[in-house]
Amino acid sequence: MALLQIAEPGQSPQPHQRRLAVGIDLGTTNSLVAALRSGLSAPLPDAEGRVILPSAVRYHADRIDVGHGAREAASADPLNTILSVKRLMGRGLADVKQLGEQLPYRFVGGESHMPFIDTVQGPKSPVEVSADILKVLRQRAEATLGGELVGAVITVPAYFDDAQRQATKDAARLAGLNVLRLLNEPTAAAVAYGLDQNAEGVVAIYDLGGGTFDISILRLTGGVFEVLATGGDTALGGDDFDYAIASWIIESAGLSSDLDPSAQRRLLETACAAKEALTDAEVVSVSYDGWQAELTRAAFDALIEPMIARSLKACRRAVRDSGVELEEVSAVVMVGGSTRVPRVRSAVGELFGRQPLTDIDPDQVVAIGAAIQADTLAGNQREGGELLLLDVIPLSLGLETMGGLMEKVIPRNTTIPVARAQEFTTYKDGQSAMMIHVLQGERELISDCRSLARFELRGIPAMVAGAAKIRVTFQVDADGLLSVSARELGSGVESSIQVKPSYGLTDGEIARMLKDSFEHAGNDKVARQLREHQVDAERLLEAVQGALDADGERLLDAEERLAIEQQMQDLRDLMNGTDGAAIEQQTKRLSQVTDAFAARRLDSTVKAALAGRNLNEIEDN
Amino acid sequence: MGTPCHFALFDLQPDFRLDLDQLASRYRELARAVHPDRFADASEREQRLALERSAGLNEAYQTLKSAPRRARYLLAIGGHEVPQEVTVHDPEFLFQQMQWREELEDLQDSADLDGVAAFKRRLKVAQDALNEEFAACWNDAAQREQAERLMRRMQFLDKLAYEVRQLEERLDD
Repeated sequence: MALLQIAEPGQSPQPHQRRLAVGIDLGTTNSLVAALRSGLSAPLPDAEGRVILPSAVRYHADRIDVGHGAREAASADPLNTILSVKRLMGRGLADVKQLGEQLPYRFVGGESHMPFIDTVQGPKSPVEVSADILKVLRQRAEATLGGELVGAVITVPAYFDDAQRQATKDAARLAGLNVLRLLNEPTAAAVAYGLDQNAEGVVAIYDLGGGTFDISILRLTGGVFEVLATGGDTALGGDDFDYAIASWIIESAGLSSDLDPSAQRRLLETACAAKEALTDAEVVSVSYDGWQAELTRAAFDALIEPMIARSLKACRRAVRDSGVELEEVSAVVMVGGSTRVPRVRSAVGELFGRQPLTDIDPDQVVAIGAAIQADTLAGNQREGGELLLLDVIPLSLGLETMGGLMEKVIPRNTTIPVARAQEFTTYKDGQSAMMIHVLQGERELISDCRSLARFELRGIPAMVAGAAKIRVTFQVDADGLLSVSARELGSGVESSIQVKPSYGLTDGEIARMLKDSFEHAGNDKVARQLREHQVDAERLLEAVQGALDADGERLLDAEERLAIEQQMQDLRDLMNGTDGAAIEQQTKRLSQVTDAFAARRLDSTVKAALAGRNLNEIEDN
Repeated sequence: MGTPCHFALFDLQPDFRLDLDQLASRYRELARAVHPDRFADASEREQRLALERSAGLNEAYQTLKSAPRRARYLLAIGGHEVPQEVTVHDPEFLFQQMQWREELEDLQDSADLDGVAAFKRRLKVAQDALNEEFAACWNDAAQREQAERLMRRMQFLDKLAYEVRQLEERLDD
């Protein structure tokens, strides 16, 4: 593993050195990692020159296989070879039971309601399985780019809810990746397509992957990608086309639908092969266990018609939500391997009244777009001006109120980041705690929505019932993740909040997994933590130095500047030592001392934007 | 409250008539300046600040973009906070309200898509008319009551427009 270069105190790293960052498409069926090199964004290949890494993980007693080898072994070892784990992320045991007949795995419950898969290496959560895929991609990237990564942009379906997003972030953490941003897949595709075509106007992205479907309507204006509305279905994808064919085979062949796991796998593989063959052929011969028949494209189209109809309905709703007319959509872009199915293309073309675009490889376009954003977020300068991605929350966020009803606090398709406040009061004298149940969804009954988490507010000052005014602020960040804060308005006391996620890993489970992964990798935990503190310190020092160089003279007086520089020097002195805790503490102190400076810089940038002037112009004055 | 007026944030004079394209353009410039993505490699505090500012900017933009919300906001910053829940004394409009609602219910029962389209067009005409009336009187202290009445009517029609969209979705089944 490459060593991180830590600069001599007083020196900053070479200004022309690019900071290495990648875009990762963690797909249901296939995953990719891409990077921007010499101005070109492209997926990175493995040693055999293949860019696609099948999202397949096989657990042996003593090792883990990820990718092509694992996928090929799926029918031979169905219980230990995990495919399409993305369908299980952020889901509960009950959801999984629904998918149950289609998944051959043995499920066991964990501390939370998250389903663990029993393998020969013990129970694995979907988060761990995803982390194993991400680890391979990370290693590939570091080997190819020749250095340690500053971070990665990881894509998620736009329609993923908070639990599914958090699970993805947890997986990245376990894989040792710094997540620069969770990026919605259609938005990533829009970036790749938009920059490639220098497009302007309203664009629709139809993204049909292995397990998820997204439709996003965006407006592109000079480097700003504004999502107007998004919709989709996180349980609709090419896999479902395979299941449809598999069911047809079972029916036509008169088989029992109670197949053993290995037979199930073989059946799905046969179905998948038939589906792919029908992209170019009008009819295909399907054989399974001695039985054989012909499947025509027309028959296949009929099998998948209900699923395509579902996707088109989501498209119509997204267009309605976006506030634009169907005619205003100037381009439709196809994303995801499943959009190769001819009937999908023709159906989408019919709805939007135009030929869908497939210029950029539908399997690669998401990773390519993610890599472009990753490069910008890592701090590298971009030629041609800066990108701005304005995304939205895909599902309404709300609270459980009396009678099992869901009251919406933040409606779907609200631009993020967003913050909304709601006021509550106590109903008992002296009540010091309160529980808030947060859900996502569009329906009125909470039983029809997805439970996200229960937030326990504690530390409410003792008052007469009804006297306390507790303002609870719901904030959704750019990743689409929710955080909640609460304050009693009269006293100004901030409540402490304990989060109990409904479908997430508990802190205990994550800690255990992190510990296990260290031990497994043979790393000394203490040494690793020390390095992490050093890296954080280095990042902060770089950021503050950059800020001082740019605006120090203009926005700080001599005394303030001296105070900051003193803290920076103290941090540098500690950094080359071995006291991780002291480094962490000094990093915090430096961060606090530069708080006011940061606020001033932000104000100044805002003023400049208003005055319509470029920042560079101001510095020249 | 300490937060700048929404209009000031966009460097605009408080007014009901607004060039929406200009507003959108300024929004994009401001979003560029404060979006958390610009601070991905900055300190945690800067990131949090950016997050707060962004959320505030988005709130301001959504308020000014929507005519009824803009109207309500203008009256509020004029020093007259209009309470949300209050019994409406608007007998003239009450009758129209009932008519709109009945029509919407009929459309739902008959599942008449052309009828829904026509309803939407008339709704838009009504909204435009209200906007004009409001623009003419909001700034006149003597017509304060009328302005508030108009603003409530705008809110009603806005809610109705939302319900039409929900109807369209149900009919799409």
